[in-house]
Amino acid sequence: MDGSISLTVAALPADAPPSVDKAGLPISVGALLPLAILSLWELASHLRWVKPVFLPTPEKTVVAFFTMLTQQDFLLDFLASIEIVLQGFIYGAGLGILLGAAAGLSRAIQRILGPTLDGVRQIPAIAWLPLIVLWLGIGPLAKVVIITKVVFFPVFLNTLQGIRGVPKDYIDLSRVLTLRRWQFIRRIIIPAATPSILVGVRYGAGLAWAMVVVAEGLSGMQGIGYLIFRAQALLLTDQLLVCMVIIGVVGFTIDRGVLLLERHLLRWKQGFEGN
Amino acid sequence: MMEQGSLRLRHVGKQYQVKGRTLDVLHDINLDVEPGSFISLVGASGCGKSTLLRLIVGLDAAFRGRILLDGEPIQGTSLRRGIVFQDHRLLPWLTLSENIGLSLENMNWPRQRKQDAVHRHIELVGLAGFEQAYPYQLSGGMAQRAAIARGLVSEPEILLLDEPLGALDALTRIRLQDELLRIWQARRVTMILVTHDVEEAVYLSDRVLVMQPHPGRITQEIALDLPRPRDRASPRFTEIRQRILRDMGAVPALAA
Repeated sequence: MDGSISLTVAALPADAPPSVDKAGLPISVGALLPLAILSLWELASHLRWVKPVFLPTPEKTVVAFFTMLTQQDFLLDFLASIEIVLQGFIYGAGLGILLGAAAGLSRAIQRILGPTLDGVRQIPAIAWLPLIVLWLGIGPLAKVVIITKVVFFPVFLNTLQGIRGVPKDYIDLSRVLTLRRWQFIRRIIIPAATPSILVGVRYGAGLAWAMVVVAEGLSGMQGIGYLIFRAQALLLTDQLLVCMVIIGVVGFTIDRGVLLLERHLLRWKQGFEGN
Repeated sequence: MMEQGSLRLRHVGKQYQVKGRTLDVLHDINLDVEPGSFISLVGASGCGKSTLLRLIVGLDAAFRGRILLDGEPIQGTSLRRGIVFQDHRLLPWLTLSENIGLSLENMNWPRQRKQDAVHRHIELVGLAGFEQAYPYQLSGGMAQRAAIARGLVSEPEILLLDEPLGALDALTRIRLQDELLRIWQARRVTMILVTHDVEEAVYLSDRVLVMQPHPGRITQEIALDLPRPRDRASPRFTEIRQRILRDMGAVPALAA
């Protein structure tokens, strides 16, 4: 029964790239590749390697961004997406940590929840969406539910795994120090499981942002996901590109934010930082 | 009223069931430890010396016979019995002083007294200035000092040492042996050391007990009256060390 929930989402690297590169390269080298791609984009669009309707120039795309910002309600769409993601992420991560901790601490709870959750997990969020939209409509609520689901599983599984991975030696230590159960959980179990929980949180955060784009594209009339699919249908390739870049920037920011949180929470940990 | 820290073991036995067979891990262990004395248990691996320590600290209640501390049978773990493990087992997410303070979590002391105790014990083991360091910032020897401070901070009557210096390099080990001696003399707490290092046992102890496996039992008891600090190179020291090694079966009788 132990292995009833065994799939690991911990395949993502938990280690962070060093803030100061030890190979002697400045951090700014990371900007080289994007600049090269931007140059290629400039060339390809200005020299008409690709038709403008399929690839507008970067300048036109920047103009489109300001047009969307000032004359269309881009900010509202953007905030709508952010709000859905934030809500779904908070519910999903909260529920994942709570139930993951419960299942990790109690075999009985794991046995009760395990098979059901493993079943639900096999049905992708996208497959849940049609039914949930039927029930809850095309408004934000259905998307919040989907994102909750998407964030829940990696957080749940990594929390469970993190708690089960606490070394047995610490249990002896806690008994020698005469810690009570709650003290044991708070002072030993939770911190020991935190690295694993954070892997789930970071992975879940990435999934959440990706999923909102898909969910908005499939249903509803608002949000950045809706905009990108509408731009495709109307051949507004410049707006489409604006949406893509924004999605990328937000995703990047979210990931780095969680990474910073991770660094702060795990400052007691010193791992291999690469060389 | 008996002085605090006297330990008595009466007919202590421990068995494991392995694949339906009964394995005698400890057989009829009898032992009297006077308050404030330093006892060592030596023996080849598998002789049950660490198991015996687990019984005394209270991590394993499934044994036969009686273990009495100050005349009362021990029940589970207690802050009156401290232990230092071979791995320092400091919690990596706590600073040095938080790690040591964790021993006092369930002590009914006022905050100030706890803080003072932590502070005093960090000084006792020579780690002043490292209060806020995390375990990964400490060397192996420093971490083991911290573990000793954690074992002592709750002012136990008895401190059990389970090969605490076994994982350290030779030089650090010798330094820490002197530290241990100094700490023991400063605190006069009863200490029971499990080690496979006979020289360490002879250097530190009032009494060395030799254990043998199958079943784990005490086969030899050597009282040491050499004045401290002991000279590891003195003929008497060498002679005792050789005798114990012979008792353990490590040195052939011919070589003696």
